[in-house]
Amino acid sequence: MSKCCGNINEDAFKPDDPCNPPSHGCTGTNANTNNTADCPVTWFGNMIQNCYDYATDAKSKGKHIVGIMCEYTPRELIMAAGGIPVCLCGGSAEMIPPAEEYLPANLCPLIKSTYGYHVKKANPFLEMSELIVAETTCDGKKKMYELMSLTRNVHVLELPQKPDDEDAMSHWVSQLRDLKAKLEELFNIEITDEKIRQAIRTMNKERQLRRELAELMKSESPALTGRQLLDYKSIISGICADFQQYSKAIDMYKSKKIQSSETSPVRVLLTGVPVVHGAERVLDIIESSNGLVVAMDNCTGLKPILEDVDENADDPIVALAQKYFNLPCSVMTKNDRRMEVLRQMAQDYKPDCIIELIWQACITYDVESYLVKKLAEDELGIPYLRIETDYSPSDSARIGLRVEALFETVRERSTCK
Amino acid sequence: MICAGIDAGSRTIKVVLIDTESKRIIAKDIIDQGIEQSTLALELFENTLSKSGLKKQDVSFVVATGYGRNAIDFADTTITEITCHGVGVHHLVPDAMTIIDIGGQDSKLLRLDENGKVRDFVMNDRCAAGTGRFLEIVAQRLNVELDSIGKMAAKSKSPSPISSMCVVFAETEITGLLACGASRDDIAAGVQASIATRIAGMAGRRVMAPIVFTGGVALVPEMDNALKSALGHEITISPDPQTTGAFGAAILAARKLNGEHK
Repeated sequence: MSKCCGNINEDAFKPDDPCNPPSHGCTGTNANTNNTADCPVTWFGNMIQNCYDYATDAKSKGKHIVGIMCEYTPRELIMAAGGIPVCLCGGSAEMIPPAEEYLPANLCPLIKSTYGYHVKKANPFLEMSELIVAETTCDGKKKMYELMSLTRNVHVLELPQKPDDEDAMSHWVSQLRDLKAKLEELFNIEITDEKIRQAIRTMNKERQLRRELAELMKSESPALTGRQLLDYKSIISGICADFQQYSKAIDMYKSKKIQSSETSPVRVLLTGVPVVHGAERVLDIIESSNGLVVAMDNCTGLKPILEDVDENADDPIVALAQKYFNLPCSVMTKNDRRMEVLRQMAQDYKPDCIIELIWQACITYDVESYLVKKLAEDELGIPYLRIETDYSPSDSARIGLRVEALFETVRERSTCK
Repeated sequence: MICAGIDAGSRTIKVVLIDTESKRIIAKDIIDQGIEQSTLALELFENTLSKSGLKKQDVSFVVATGYGRNAIDFADTTITEITCHGVGVHHLVPDAMTIIDIGGQDSKLLRLDENGKVRDFVMNDRCAAGTGRFLEIVAQRLNVELDSIGKMAAKSKSPSPISSMCVVFAETEITGLLACGASRDDIAAGVQASIATRIAGMAGRRVMAPIVFTGGVALVPEMDNALKSALGHEITISPDPQTTGAFGAAILAARKLNGEHK
């Protein structure tokens, strides 16, 4: 299954292969695909449209669109149920005022933006969704889903929050079994272990490709920027055409000759909240101030692709539960694993500093930032900067000032060594 | 040779000219900020030069700083006010370990290492509470000059509690206090205490003495005492605190000229 994406021949796919999209992608029958197929930059620059075409086409062929809100949700289960998992996290500042008619203003912009799309019915993927799989990763989201469920079909996964408790994993496994039952009932389909394993193989392939791209940033002078890397992702997983483009991108950057610039950029490890599509402002400020985001440990960066799922486990649900439960989200207490991941990333990606992005009113990341700062300064010995903001650009100049001053500090330090 | 530092702040623009070798100040001046800040800065620069009998060609290197630094097109380079205040204070008060800079729209707290280099810093977010703008609004509301706030505060026996973390709400709070008959002296003292408390909160446990107070708000009488009681440390006011940032920029200009840094 996993090799399907290296193959352009349509006949090579089985109809039920989750890596075989209903019409375009690998098939090359779509004119749009042909035009952009040779350039991964253009392809992913058109990501939302690609996903829209893909989802519309899939829906017309009887497939089910399922919205997801969090990286804890195993896309594999949805794919095994013949569904298309679509990430619905909102990144638009414009969607916040409509949300504030219902939600408190002092809530994280990601929640408000997502909810704004809901009330304005402005996210076509949400409108296409037959089910929304939500999760209890923070109180704000949890309560927002209650309001959303007044008019939409929402299934909430209850995430245990003490990862080291004995019964935590068994509870999480039972939550995934409930989701499986829900999907089977709703779509009137049997989710066999083999179907799950097939989806696991597809997702492992996707994670492997994205990981390989991200690891290019380990280079002393990487061929791409952090922003370019961030754009290499899709709100729908398992699109075969995406896989081809990931491979092309990897080849393209591996063969690219790097010209060394006069002043090498300051290498930044960006941590904290997810940088969802449309809300990349802080990353752009960092990179326009001659910084280079070499790694992001967040949900839109390396966190969800660090580990794969065991393809040969006796019980694939348990295998899924184990992988996903291992995500170091700040909702966990204690969240020691995040510090382990950051330590490892500091070693692998050699950042000069850590910048932590916190969406306003994101209490868990905000409080945990104390520990990240301590890790950066006391243990890793690199400067740390915390940026708390929302989606509105009004504080861009002030953020720019902090980033510039941080970089001046970093450069000053390096001249002293 | 002469080097210049220009600090285009939110309320005023400052210029400092120094002798590159001795780092001695040759001239300095301040004007109010306005819409056309690049023109204003150029006028200030030229006037300061002509008062000292100098021409633009006499200045070898210009560093611009402050929030408007990128609008100063005659500058050779820009450096953030965080680095400039660090350098300026370190030059004037070499043993300083912590700097509190309160300007028109920003308040910042910098920690220096033993070599006077910036170790880390924090600054206020979007809100103007804890900045000079807050004091201006309060002075307006109390119908007094900004300079009087400090004198009034000194007379207070029981400063009014002002707890709001937002300037707009704090103004509402002050209206309420006035309605309840609180004296203007107590309110003035309460406002200063509230700014100092915010700075202390921002500082967390990162304050190490000696602490140097810089920026325009350091000129407001009694602010240093308010900070002293909030932080529990003696506060030294930087010599001519309003131009410390521009002075730091001028020193950095001299260093750039001498090729001390990239």
